[in-house]
Order: sequence, then C-alpha cells, then structure tokens
Amino acid sequence: MKTALGILLMASSISVSAQVRLPEFTREQLPNGATLILLPRHDVPLVSVRAVFRGGAESEPAGLNGITSVTVEMMRRGAGKRSASQIDLDLDFLGASLSSGSNRQSAWFALEFLSKTAPEAMAIFGDILAQPAFPEEEVRKVLAQTADRVRAAKDNPAAAVGPYFNGLFYPSGHPYRHSGSPDELSVTRINREEIQKHYRRMAAGRNLIFVASGDFDPKQFAPLARKIAGALPPGEAFQPPAPKDPRFDRPRLLIVDKPDATQTYFRIGMPGIHRRHPDRIPLLVANTLFGGRFTSLLNDALRVNAGLTYGATSIMDLDRLSGAIAINSYTPTATTVKAIDLALDVLRQFAGKGVSQEQLDSARNYIKGNFPTDRLETSDQLCAILAELEIFGLDRRDIDGFFQLLDALTVDAVNAAIRRHFTPDNLQFCLVGNASAIQKETAKYAAAAKVISIKTEGFAAPDF
Amino acid sequence: MVQVTEHTLSNGMKILIHEDHDVPNVALYLFFKVGSRNERPGATGISHFFEHMMFNGAKKYGPKQFDIQMEKAGGRNNAYTTRDVTVYTDWFPRSALELMFDMEADRIRDLSFDPKIVESERGVVSSERRTSVDNNPFGTLYEQLNATAYIAHPYQWPVIGWASDIEAWTMDDLKAHYRMGYAPNNCVVVVSGDVTPAEVLPLAKKYFEPIPSQDPPPPVRTVEPPQLGERRVEVHRPANLPMLMLSYHIGAAKDPDFPVYELIETLLTGGRSSRLHQRLVEKDQLVLSAGGGVRPSLDPGQFLFTFQVRSGRQPADVEKALYEELERLSKEPVPAEELQKAKNQILADFYRQLKTISGKANLLGSYEVFYGGWGQILQAPAQIEKVSAADIQRVAAKIFSPRNRTVATLIPEQRAEVKQ
Repeated sequence: MKTALGILLMASSISVSAQVRLPEFTREQLPNGATLILLPRHDVPLVSVRAVFRGGAESEPAGLNGITSVTVEMMRRGAGKRSASQIDLDLDFLGASLSSGSNRQSAWFALEFLSKTAPEAMAIFGDILAQPAFPEEEVRKVLAQTADRVRAAKDNPAAAVGPYFNGLFYPSGHPYRHSGSPDELSVTRINREEIQKHYRRMAAGRNLIFVASGDFDPKQFAPLARKIAGALPPGEAFQPPAPKDPRFDRPRLLIVDKPDATQTYFRIGMPGIHRRHPDRIPLLVANTLFGGRFTSLLNDALRVNAGLTYGATSIMDLDRLSGAIAINSYTPTATTVKAIDLALDVLRQFAGKGVSQEQLDSARNYIKGNFPTDRLETSDQLCAILAELEIFGLDRRDIDGFFQLLDALTVDAVNAAIRRHFTPDNLQFCLVGNASAIQKETAKYAAAAKVISIKTEGFAAPDF
Repeated sequence: MVQVTEHTLSNGMKILIHEDHDVPNVALYLFFKVGSRNERPGATGISHFFEHMMFNGAKKYGPKQFDIQMEKAGGRNNAYTTRDVTVYTDWFPRSALELMFDMEADRIRDLSFDPKIVESERGVVSSERRTSVDNNPFGTLYEQLNATAYIAHPYQWPVIGWASDIEAWTMDDLKAHYRMGYAPNNCVVVVSGDVTPAEVLPLAKKYFEPIPSQDPPPPVRTVEPPQLGERRVEVHRPANLPMLMLSYHIGAAKDPDFPVYELIETLLTGGRSSRLHQRLVEKDQLVLSAGGGVRPSLDPGQFLFTFQVRSGRQPADVEKALYEELERLSKEPVPAEELQKAKNQILADFYRQLKTISGKANLLGSYEVFYGGWGQILQAPAQIEKVSAADIQRVAAKIFSPRNRTVATLIPEQRAEVKQ
C-alpha cells in the first residue's frame, strides 16, 4: 500500500530528473606542488580567479584565533612595488573586484576582472599572493579596525549568537571553538611578526589551489596562471589537527546577557557530521525537511503557524571535522520559552517519526532544483566548487554523481540517518537576550547553566 | 548582449522574456508597481505586509500551498518591497514552469483573507521589524533619518511600517490595498532562463490574460517641498560605536542627471580606491566603513551616506571631512583618469548583474519600471560614458548644499568596557 501510494505520488508530481555534470576542466600539479585548475567558458566577458590556501582556522596557533583573516587582509595592503592604496586604485581602474576571507579549513582570494584586462589584473594578483610587504603602519591600522569590528558585532545579537554558540559547543583547544574572526583578546596578541610567520606557513605551493574560470583562451591564459601559482616556494603541506569530536553527556545552557535586547536569539545544537561523512546525502534531505527551507517543519511551526518569529532554520555544518546540527531562531523576549518549547517539540517528533516517501520526494526535488543556480551558474561559483572538492580531497564524481545518489535514497536510509544524528538528549543551548527576563523560565532546559555579560571579552563560554 | 521578447496581454500586463540556457532553470520576477509610497499614515507598512500575505493561500492553492507545491517542484521563492515596488521572485527548474504560472495567477486573482492567518502573519512582521530595526542600530538610525529628511512625501515612513500600524491594519485596509496594487495592468512580468518565448507566451495567455484589469493605484500627489535648511536628528541608544547617516535630496530615476549621480556615487564610495574610503577609512581613520549612494526611485529620492564611526572618534569630525570631500567635488574638476576609473567600475558592475538569470530578470524589470523601458539598458553604457567632469561639478554643487541635507547621529548610551 505504501509503495503503491509512493509511485502514484511520484507520477503525479513534477519530477526534477535531469542530472548535473561539472563542465570540462583541466587540472595539473605545478613543480612547487600547487594545484592549477582551468575551466574556460564564455557567457559574459569576465574572468574569475580563486586562490585557496589550505589551513584556515584549523591552522591558527592557540590564542591567535582570527590571524588567518587578518593575514589575508594584510596581503592586499602593500605587495611588490605597490602600496595598499595603489593596489586598490589599480584594481578599481580595471573594474576588477577582489574579495578575500577565511573559513575553518582555508583562506581564499577571489578576483574577478574584465577578460581584456587579464595581464594587468593577474600581475597584481601575483604580487598579492607572493610579494606582500606587511607595512607596519597598515598592520596597526588593520588591527585597530578589527578591534572595532568586534565591538560593532556585539551591537547586533543576530550576528553575535553564532560565535557564542561555537564557543559553547566546541571544547577548549578545538579549532572550531573560534569563528575565524579575532576577538577582543586575540586581537591584542596578533602583531606583524606573527602575521609574517603565519603567512610563510600558509603561502606554500603545496598548500595552494589555484582555479580560474571564465572568458579566456587557455593557450594564452595558462602560462599566466602557471607563473603566478608557481611563484610560491613549495613549503610544507599543512597537516590538519585531529581533535576529538564534540560529545555531550548533559544539556548545557549559556545565556549571553544583553539587557537592552527586546528579542531572544537562540541556537540549540547537537553533534552532527563532516563533509565526507557517509550519512551526508540522507542528512541533507533530513535537514532540508527539518529546518533547511521555507516549508520546513521548524519554520512552519514557529513562523507560519505560530507567528512567533520571522524565521526558524536548522544549520548543518559540513566541514573537515565534525560540526553541529543546530536550530536557529529568535522571538520576542516574552515568548522565549514558548518558541523554544515549540522548536524542541518539532525536534522530538522528527527524531521519533522520521520522514515519509512524499517528504523525501519533495526534499529531493528541492535540492536538485536549486543546486544548478546555487552552485553551477557563474564562473565564480564554479571556481568555488572546484576549490572545495580539492580542500576535502574529493573529485568531480562528488558533483557528477550527486543527483544519482539522491535518486537512490530510500525512506529507510533517511530515517536511519535521522535516528543516528537527530538526538534530542543533551542539547546545547545558547541564548542571547535580556537575561533577567528569561533566566528563571529557561532554567528548565539544563541543570548546567551559566550567564555571561555580552561585555565580557571574547565569545568563549565560561567553564561549566 | 541583451535580447528580449516583449509582449503586452490584452489586460495590460507586460511580459518580458529573456532566453538563457546555461542552467536548466528559470527566474520569474513579477514587479507590482505598489510600495510604501502608495500608503497613508495609520496604514504604513501594508505593502510589505502584502508581500507576506501573498504566500498565505488563494482559491485554487490554499494556505501554505504556494510554498509547498513550489518546493516540491524544485523551486524556491522570495519577495521584496521597496518604497516604489513589490517584487515577487521565483526560481525553479524549467519543469515547474506551468505550475508557477498557475499559482501566480491564482494569488493575483483570488487571494484569500483568513483572519487567523492575518493575525499570525502580523506576529511574523512584528518580529521582522524588531530584528531589522529595534535590535539593529543601523535600522533604527535609518528610520529616524528618513522621518526627518521628508516632511510631506510618503518616503518619510519606513517600508516595514511603524510598529503601531503593524498592530492596527484592518481587514478592510488589506482588501482595499490588494485591489489597488495587484492588478495585471499594474504588473511587469520578467521570465529569464531556460525557456523560449514559444513556451512562455501561451502560458501567459492561458493563466494571466483572463485576470481582469483594474484601476491602477491613484497617483501620489504629494511633492516633497524644497528643503530650506539643514535638519538634524539624534538617536540615543545602547551601542558600542557611534553611527552617522546623511541624506541629500536628489531627482527621480528619470532625472536626466541620474547617470551623473551614479558616477558621483562611484567616485565617492565605489571600491577601496574611492574618495571617501581613502580619506575616512584609510587616511583619517575615522570610520570603519563609508557606504552610501543612490537608488533609482519613482519620485525624487536621496543621496545617502552611512558611516560606522570608530571608537574614540567623533561623528562631528566625520562630518567635517565628508563636507570637505563634497566641496572638492564641486570646486575641482575630477582628473580624467579618475573619471575613467569610475566609468570602468560601473561598466564591470553592469556585466556582473548579467551573470545570473536572477540578475538579468531583476535588471530588466527595474529598467522597465524605473527608467521608462527595459530597452534603456542598451543605452546605459553610453549614458555613463557621456558624463563629463563639468557635469559632476555642476551636479555636486546643486545637491550637496548644507540646506539640502539631513544629518542623523547615533550616540551610544553606554560604552562597553573593552580593553584594546
């Protein structure tokens, strides 16, 4: 009966059946160990280039969290014969845009330029990667700006709840305990010498993935790219750490007190998975249904049915090391407990009941329907996805076979994965809001509870 | 570069179709020419509320069904409301094309108004307001700036509405607003992506053409009177850092000087080499960020500046440095190389908007609504190229006068005791 119903539903629904494939690209290893990937395509007269260094937050020395993002910012502030303002001016004159950043396992630069300006734009990019000068005055300026950015972030509780959650969820010494940005403490320890040391470790050929996609002729462009990516010393390949996964034997509650807040911002997490985990595909489907899209169970209950919030989602980390699956939402101070209770009800029911064939079909179509525009439409998206495969040690089969794996999923497989990972015991609660108004009623969520002021330096949780 | 098939249905609805077969997906954008400028005191924010209500059920597709059916078919949607327009944005695989036409037609023609759902959605919008305005220093200050910069025209109230109005809309308000704004003749539909006009036009005729046209929203009669002197507003609230915003009145999108405004915007705030970034962020180190610029609008709009002031710095010093830069713009001709740089930046940004089917749909609809026709896109690069250094001096002198400005300052009530 169940099978027959499933077939009927599938026949009557619109199926998103096409498969996706990465376009053709070339991949080579340069003598200094760098990986060079080229993917020409000609829809608009733009070229995207992405240089990614392995490491990121995972490579940061203790107490210097956020140094990767500062180093990356410093690399464009004076390089080769150009000062910081000359680099800005030269790039803007070409109409080029340079962005950069860091995450848990890498640091990256993305440059996009008009194809006719390739030689000039690439020359600047090469200097930034291989010849940064780290002028003392620019270091001072960037560190002072960074300190103010941390202060500004704490004025916006929607942005602050993530870093506080990481501080609670990951144990001391785990590289993901910090969110990749400096805090008030680490910014005082970062200096020019540490930045240079960090740069020398990071900017090694063996750590570099260099990807270009867009409107270029590989015959002319490849020598240019090889010259830049091959200019770094081979150095040593980054050896990632292997800390223990977060595991909890009791629920814990951290309230970050912001007395003027009129809403409570909450994130509630449990241990999740990493990017290469065998449960990734079933959990993508599960998380889509739980809190990963507008009609998800969480958003339906908290926003659509109850009107308690503008949005309720669940976030599933997919990094090199295992991360969290976390509920994320906010609600007026007076309805804090009502909203959290409702979110926990949804979680318990989902963990107990699992999903149906109809839900699986819907989530599968949703993931497949959105994937092309989310990841494969533009040259910069293609650069990002190709670099991501390298970072995680995957190849094109991860994309080319993605829809087939989704198509092969069964309800039983999804529900088994839900049973393994959606574990409503020992949840970790992080709340940013007016502590005096919510502390008493939220005490029921965890016997182990702490309150800290948002003015306390850093984002780490106190000892429980 | 941009090829478009244009068609007007017999009920006045305009359809623009742009073929792009890079990915097997489609972007469907519906631009309704109704926004907060079409509201009145007591019912502010109602256009934005409708942005929400349009997802809450119609005759054929009941409550929640728009999202449920769409996501099941592999699609996703969103919407945005501005002072001038409400735009519904759908992204989906080409297999869902007919479903989307059916569902969009259903809610344009036969939206339902369930009192229970209205109440629940009111809570959602209140939450959105609390998070984007009340718990956000930027949102708070921006609201106060506009309420001060405009004294007569509807651009004075926030798009999301005043908190008391959100609590107070009546069912009659909602129904009247729906009739006013959601007529097919008040809408431009843009389809961009893996489709052909031969597929789209029959669907538009089948689903959209039977919807009767209506009287469009009454013209907005109020013209903002010329500002006769500087206005200032202060906001005191808990925050770690001060913030500063300024507004100067300028013309609407159809103002022949609009390309000049865009060049001034790029010279002042476009990229890290821009004058304000170099002066205020890098040289004087007074602010963390210097943002702002112009947005096309149906009625005369604003040149806006926003600054996140550094700790220990005074907003007054930021003002002084800004005024020096604005004066330099009107006193000294922009060097040819700097002008060329700004033109290059604008052209490259223009290409960036054409990278995605969503970007193309949004650009086509915006040009159609604000600049008098999508075909203006083809003129845009030439119009930018035409702007001279003398144009910039003339326009800067006209708009950046002290009597035309409004200054809003956020003053932190308490400073966090953080060591550096």
